[in-house]
This record gives sequence, C-alpha cells and structure tokens, in this order.
Amino acid sequence: MSDAIAYSTIRELGARYRKRELSPVEVTRVLLARIEKLDPALNAFVTLTADRALADARAAEELLRRGDDRPLLGIPIAHKDIYCTRGIRTTGGSALLADWVPDVESTCGRRWQDAGTVLLGKLITHEFAMGLQFPGHRFPPARNPWNVNHIPGGSSSGSGAALAAGLVHGATGSDTGGSIRGPASFCGIVGLKPTYGRSSRAGVLTLSWTLDHTGPMARTVEDCALLLQPLAGHDPLDPASSLAPVDDYTAPLGRDVRGLRVGVIRNYFFEGVDPEVERAFEEAMATLRRLGADVRDVQIPSLKATHSFLLILLAEAYAYHERDLREHPELYGDVLRERFLAGALVTAAEYVQAQRIRSEICRETAEVLRDVDVLATPTSPKPATPFAQAHDPEFGFPRSNMPPFNITGSPTLALPCGFSASGLPLSLQLAGRPFDEATVLRVGHAYEQATSWHTRRPPV
Amino acid sequence: MGEPLELTLEELRERIKAAGITIADHRLGMVRKLLSDALVQVRALDSRTIKTVEPAVRFQGGRHE
Repeated sequence: MSDAIAYSTIRELGARYRKRELSPVEVTRVLLARIEKLDPALNAFVTLTADRALADARAAEELLRRGDDRPLLGIPIAHKDIYCTRGIRTTGGSALLADWVPDVESTCGRRWQDAGTVLLGKLITHEFAMGLQFPGHRFPPARNPWNVNHIPGGSSSGSGAALAAGLVHGATGSDTGGSIRGPASFCGIVGLKPTYGRSSRAGVLTLSWTLDHTGPMARTVEDCALLLQPLAGHDPLDPASSLAPVDDYTAPLGRDVRGLRVGVIRNYFFEGVDPEVERAFEEAMATLRRLGADVRDVQIPSLKATHSFLLILLAEAYAYHERDLREHPELYGDVLRERFLAGALVTAAEYVQAQRIRSEICRETAEVLRDVDVLATPTSPKPATPFAQAHDPEFGFPRSNMPPFNITGSPTLALPCGFSASGLPLSLQLAGRPFDEATVLRVGHAYEQATSWHTRRPPV
Repeated sequence: MGEPLELTLEELRERIKAAGITIADHRLGMVRKLLSDALVQVRALDSRTIKTVEPAVRFQGGRHE
C-alpha cells in the first residue's frame, strides 16, 4: 500500500482524492513514515517540515471538499535547499548557512504553495549547488537509491534521491551545468530544465547568473508538465524572467510524434560515452522512429568549445561569494572553496571570450533547430559515479553532455531510457527551441509511454 | 597567438598573487587543472578571427610591407 501511494503519479493521486478513496492527510502520513524509515540511509532531506506538511494537507482536504479541482492540490513536494523558504531553514548545503532562516519565499515556492501543494521539507543540495560534500562536512551527501555507494548526481541530489525512493511526488531543482538533469539521469527519474527566463530564479541562491535555471523534477513526463505549469510565467522579481506567453504543457501530451524531426547531434555528445549508454540511446532513437519521428543526424561544430563555459560559471560564482570567501573561508567545504576561488583567477578578457564562444554555440544551435524540432543526446556519458571516485579531489569536472543547453538556455528534458548491467539508470536528453517546452515534453511523453523504464523501482 | 594552451604552475601563482587570494599549496594542482581545462578553447582561439554574433571590424595589426 505504501509503495502504491508513494509511487502514484500526480494525476492518479488527484483522481483518488476526488473519488474520496484517499486524502492528502493520509498520503502525507504515508510519506512521512516512509521518510522516517528510508531517509537515514539516503540523506535526501536536510529539514523535514512534518507539522507544516500536515497543515498544508488539511487545508488541501478542505479545499477538495469544496470542489477545488486544481491538479497540484494536496500533492506532496519538497524544495532543493537553495530555494528560500520563509520561516524554514535554508542551508544551501553549506556550513555557512547552517542555521539561516530566510524571511522571503522563492517565487517558485510561492507558486507551488498557491497551487495547493503540501510542503514536506527541504532536500539536500551539493553545497551552493556546486560542491559535493566530502567526508566530515557539516551536511552528509544524499545517496543514490539504486545503489547507495554511488552518487545520486548533483547538485539537486536530494531531489533526485527523494523522487527515486518515493519520498515525494515532485521537487524543485536548479540547473547551471546539469544539476536537474544529472540527478534525473543517475536516479532514473524525469527532470526538466525550462528555457532560461521561463521559471523564476527569485529567492533561489545563485551559482552563476547567466547559466542558472530553476525547474521541476518528478517521476513521469506528465508530472513534470503539471509541476512546470504554475512555475512558468513572468516574475518581476527576476530581471531575466521572460514575458513570452505560457503554453498549456499537458495539452500536447498524448499527441503522436509522427513527422516530428529529431536531430541527433553526432559531434561532442558521444565522446567518451559508455557503450551501454550509447546502446540505450540508439534503442531510444529506434523507438522514436517506430513511433513515426524523423530521426536524423546533425552537427553543431562549435560545441567543441563547451568546456569554456566553466570560465563563466567560476567567475560569476566568485563574484557572488567573494565577500564570504574572504571573511569566512573555513565555512566553505573543502575543494568547493578552492573551486570558487579559482573564479578570482579568470581574467576579464577570458570571461568575455568565453561569452563570445557562447554566442557562437547559441547561433549554431538555433540554426540547427530551424531544421529539426528537438535535439536528442544521451543525458550523461556514463551511469552514476561511485562515491569513492567522486570523493577524489582530483576527479574535477568530467566532460558532460548537459552544459551545452545551459549555454544556449534551451528547454531540456532528461528521462529514463534504460539500465546498465550493474542496475544503474541511463537517461535520454531532449532539447528544444526557446520556450517550446511543450514539444520537448510531447516527444518525451511519447517515448516514455512506449517504454517501461519509468515504472522500475529502486531496491530501497 | 604563441600563448601555451596549458596554464603553468608559475602562471597560476602569479594570478593568485594578483587576485590577492590564498589557495592552499595542496590544492594548487587541482585548481591548475580546473582552470587549464576551462581555458584550453579560449587560448586556442584567435580573437581576431572568431566568427561571433556581435559586430567586430577585423583588422591585421603590425607592420605591413
């Protein structure tokens, strides 16, 4: 019973609420008990808000009785701990903010609250959305429910782990170089990085202003679409927030993909790709072809310079943290401190050249997206990394398939497309034209419905 | 160009001094690799010839014979 409730989709939960078969309070109690039982081994939650969750659930129950039919009413969620929550500790996964209680709410948090969700708590993040916690850190890192000796990906690590373990039905993530899609990939769930400017960054701790994105994480594409809906739309508190009209994100789900053009970027994304990942990806393309999509190869030559995006990220992160790095360096995690300090060593000219390279990648990507509707790649070149490897300071920043779409700001979805022989999830990445989340979700949904990867559960 | 693609330890130390920050000796190798990897493409770039979106008049400086 607990598993059935914990792994219900958002639509299934809503339908059962309205038939009076289940109540938000009942579901919340099931999840709180599940968190108590499973989270000590997973460390997904950094702060549990049980009283608040039950109060939210009771309020939702009352609204359901009055016939309120909003799809997120009574749906249990949690926030990555870089999203400010008014009156609730927000740590950023850092000793620097270990006891910080903000007096503001992030726009995303407020919008989900206004949509009637139930807040279960705050989910551990890599420190300041960048630094995996090393042994001895104030906050232990989340563990991967598929194999606790492997990382769940980062930086939205708690979000990925909590969703995979059936502890929440939706979570926020943030994505500067893959921090929504990486945990989605490693934990076998779905993550959507919307277009830059689509979902507000207001009230969310910054990593890198020009690369940061906020967005939803869930277990199915439809759940992601439902969770995106209230997040999308202009926010005057975020200067990068767009005025572009907001689509109905669930409307295109279920429409077939016949004739849609899917571009497989053959350069960059297949360098160093694990054979299992490549095989799963090619099988996913075969599935899309069977569904009627026109799958074709494309090239974006400038992507070879993708790694220069780190100069932008490091310089912007240093600018954000400069004062605290100088005044309280000891409160930053080992390794992360030095990575942030590296941003002080990027020259102005190098930052500008990296932005010029970025312009070229954006231009070439836009050109390719005139000829195809979405782009497809493996999300991550390899399955989840073991902690033993990730905790080597020299491990650094391995080449990744996700930053290209932080550079371009394109809407990008990660969803399960298989498993490694060792039982770790593999993932498909789909990117689209600016503000065309609807098409990306439509293709992802068609693929998901033709396969069963999203129905597998980790051995927790 | 003539600039080496790799960031040397000496250059890293010069940058640290200029920035007025401190990085522990045992982390210098890690920082050097992090920056070196990020800089490779920028250093390989001839800023006079890159095709970019913003307008930029191109010229050939130096002596013309």
